[in-house]
Amino acid sequence: MTNWNLIGHAWAVDLLRGQLRRGAVSHAYLFAGPPGVGRRTLALRFAQALLCPNPPAPGEPCGTCQTCRQIEAMHYPDLSVVQAEKEGGVLKVEQVREVRRILVLKPYQGNYRLALFLRFQEAHPSASNALLKTLEEAPAHAILLLTAEHADQLLPTIVSRCEILRLRPLSFDELTVALQERGLSESQARLLAHISGGRPGHALRLSASPQLLEMRTERLNDLHRLLSASRVERFAYAELLAKDKENLRQTLLIWLSYWLDVMRRASGAHIPPLNFDRLPEIEHLAARFDLSQCSRVVSALQKAGEQLEANVNSRLLAETLLLDWPRI
Amino acid sequence: MKVTVLQTNLAHGLGIVSRAVSPRTTLPVLANVLVATDEGRLRLSATNLEMGITCWIGAKIEEEGSTTVPARTFADLVNTLPGEQVALTLDPNTQVLNVRSGTSTNDIKCIDAQEFPPLPVPDMEGALHINVADFKEMIQQVVFAASVDEARPVLMGVLVKINGDQITMAAADGFRLSVRTATLSSPFAKPVSAIIPARALAELARITSDGDQMIQMVFPKERGQVVFRLKDVELSSQLIDGTFPDYEQIIPRGYKSRTLVSTAALLKACKQAEIFAREGSNVARLNIKTGSNEMEPSEVEISAQSEETGSNETIVEATVDGIGLLIAFNVKFLREVLEVIKTPNVAIETTAPNAPGVIRPVGDDTFLHVIMPMHIS
Repeated sequence: MTNWNLIGHAWAVDLLRGQLRRGAVSHAYLFAGPPGVGRRTLALRFAQALLCPNPPAPGEPCGTCQTCRQIEAMHYPDLSVVQAEKEGGVLKVEQVREVRRILVLKPYQGNYRLALFLRFQEAHPSASNALLKTLEEAPAHAILLLTAEHADQLLPTIVSRCEILRLRPLSFDELTVALQERGLSESQARLLAHISGGRPGHALRLSASPQLLEMRTERLNDLHRLLSASRVERFAYAELLAKDKENLRQTLLIWLSYWLDVMRRASGAHIPPLNFDRLPEIEHLAARFDLSQCSRVVSALQKAGEQLEANVNSRLLAETLLLDWPRI
Repeated sequence: MKVTVLQTNLAHGLGIVSRAVSPRTTLPVLANVLVATDEGRLRLSATNLEMGITCWIGAKIEEEGSTTVPARTFADLVNTLPGEQVALTLDPNTQVLNVRSGTSTNDIKCIDAQEFPPLPVPDMEGALHINVADFKEMIQQVVFAASVDEARPVLMGVLVKINGDQITMAAADGFRLSVRTATLSSPFAKPVSAIIPARALAELARITSDGDQMIQMVFPKERGQVVFRLKDVELSSQLIDGTFPDYEQIIPRGYKSRTLVSTAALLKACKQAEIFAREGSNVARLNIKTGSNEMEPSEVEISAQSEETGSNETIVEATVDGIGLLIAFNVKFLREVLEVIKTPNVAIETTAPNAPGVIRPVGDDTFLHVIMPMHIS
């Protein structure tokens, strides 16, 4: 057990700890992986291990001193956190320029100045280009930490200048055990491990806020109701759904995970489902629809998600989606 | 914490430190001012992590303590307080600061002082002592030439070099260079070369008052900082990391034409030219004319024109040594340097229309300014 205190990704921790011990830290890291998998947490732990004034062992943060606590809260003077205003927003070039100005100043407290760019795939092209300059000629005391979903969403010139750590979702069993260690009951731990698709951050968020789970249950019930609903009902629901863009985004994600399960079932694959608690329903639907129907819904949902990011009118989006919704 | 201070002192102190407050930041505590009892005085500090300012004011301390108070709220409130005396009482459990003055009583929600980034506690031993008036003049003569372009962060600072009893400040933005040297009253132990953000120096020049005699400058070891201390105020700044361009290379070694003019007359001509030039690309032409014979005086004709506004032409008497020349400069740059030159006469050294010009005060070789010419079609 180490003070890195991370669920999974032991290889990444080992790698970073080894670099810290050898004093061979890179000047830029890219933490790639799906949201909630632990990219930011790993980056922050690395920052703690790097800056902790009294580490219990080389490459280990103490996790309790003021520096460690401030980094955890992203309130540390030598750590600049840069991200788009909200998820799905745009990271602006001015934000990168501001960081560039700060990075050349000598560190305030420790030996390094860190910049953490969250969800860098949301960066405006000009912001990416601005960062490139910093990546190329960053001062010796500066370390850049980037997180993104996939390395190939970023400019190849940026990726090639970073050390890439690709974080993958954990196995359901591994995450279940880890969640139990954090005080969750076995059934709850297993359910969350499945729903989150093996992403610890997402699972912990769900366990911390029951309303998210409630919302999921509600949306999945809606999904079912809509299957047999009339066109008028569907339109009424679309109008309701489109009122809040964030709500629509969440709903699309929940529905997508559900239809993925149905599709996998329909194809005859026996992968453990994400929506573990809904297994009978999923099997029921998988028996009713064939594979091509399911995959049509899945791709419609995926496309809707992308279009939403691209600022398509959310009401029209919800309406088209529900018009093509399968019917029982 | 329980202290009583004079309203004027508190308002003055907050006015000084609030320049270092950063209102838009990811660290909420940086929008606050640290208020702490410190050896019989009240200490006010603010920092934006680039520059920190601390000001000490006299206070009657009944109970020691510290907290951080939202800067805007505090300053706005103190400026309007009716009474002469202000009583500050902190409830350490709730971090609520009660501000009482005359008939007015206010409670401000504060953030625990523990959250505030640690401020440097420099050892002023071995500090450099400089006369405030001289230092202020040095800053003013170079700081305006520093770049504001964040693409080249090194140029946003002023290079400060100390070697023995010589101190040099230099700033450049790619179009102009300002260099000022001075002799220290006593030599400094070890050579220093540091890039100090221009903002910090400008701020230092602003907060030094006539009451201050000496300024102490120190570079704390291993901190990458510089700290300036005045009587009741301390300003610290992070240094910029990087290599300042070798500016000696930019200074032309010789000239083909040296033009002596009255500083005031040239400045006036530049200001007039700028009225027209600012509509376009700030170009002003300097036509340096030598007299055709001994009897005819030499002169400089400063002109500017813009498509929309019109044109302007001013003739300034000059003593030209060398060839006549037509050269164009950014008139804003020319005006800014003339404004900081204190001598009655100034020399413009030029070689060719496409070679940099050098501006020097006549009879004072501690200052020089290089300006790149502009292209004239």
